Amino acid sequence: MDQQLELLLEIQDLRMQRRELTDGSLTDLEAEVFDVKIEDAIQSLDEKVEELEQRLGRGIRARYRRIADKAPRVVAPVINGICYGCFVAVSTARASEADRNLRVESCEYCGCFLYHVR
Amino acid sequence: MQLRELFVPSAINLDLAAETKDEALKELVSCLGLDGKSEGILYKMLKRRENLGSTGIGRGIAIPHCRSLVVTRLRVAFGRKLSGLDFKAIDEKPVRYVFLIVAPPLEVSNQYLPVLGKIAQFGKEADVPESLAELSSPEQFIELLEAKDL
Repeated sequence: MDQQLELLLEIQDLRMQRRELTDGSLTDLEAEVFDVKIEDAIQSLDEKVEELEQRLGRGIRARYRRIADKAPRVVAPVINGICYGCFVAVSTARASEADRNLRVESCEYCGCFLYHVR
Repeated sequence: MQLRELFVPSAINLDLAAETKDEALKELVSCLGLDGKSEGILYKMLKRRENLGSTGIGRGIAIPHCRSLVVTRLRVAFGRKLSGLDFKAIDEKPVRYVFLIVAPPLEVSNQYLPVLGKIAQFGKEADVPESLAELSSPEQFIELLEAKDL
């Protein structure tokens, strides 16, 4: 797997974790059952995301920023040839080329980075 | 969907080889049948979640959990280590029973939070640690969930 794509995946998963802590869906459970200090957790996640963002190459970071500023999701899974960012089929040629996630690809429709899930 | 329907025998390990929390997480992740790269990413995410606060909820039970793009549907696993693992649990006692929950970011059935809640509730029941200690096969684990109507 492309290392930049791996970084993007990590960032995406951390952003998701942060969103669930802030939008209320997971807040109570994490605080009450797991005794997580929500504010500290959010700060820690923000710091980690920022650190990982700095490790993105300049071009990819710029593309990432454009997506991240307007959408909650920066990486979309491709399952059975469908981009789950916009639910549009990814072209067969692109899908097979990127099938092993060996390079960073974006969806031509929604702009999300693509991660091909097997 | 009932909780027991999510557990498959291959993801129920009643005799973890792990001696540490990290090894236990790796061992349980390996039960999910993912490729090596995905296992590595998932393990990293679980570790990051643990860094926010231990998922050891006390009474010997831990519920490591996270969402990750590397899975396409909700996946669960159960591991037991009767001699105990240092999980930095809330009650500071060793963890003997580990429930792993992993969900994709997009989930049509939205089961992640209810499943996490149900397992947390299950873990709080007074007789559960003892029942888990007595299990001798994965099938008995499923039967225990069934007996609890889960």
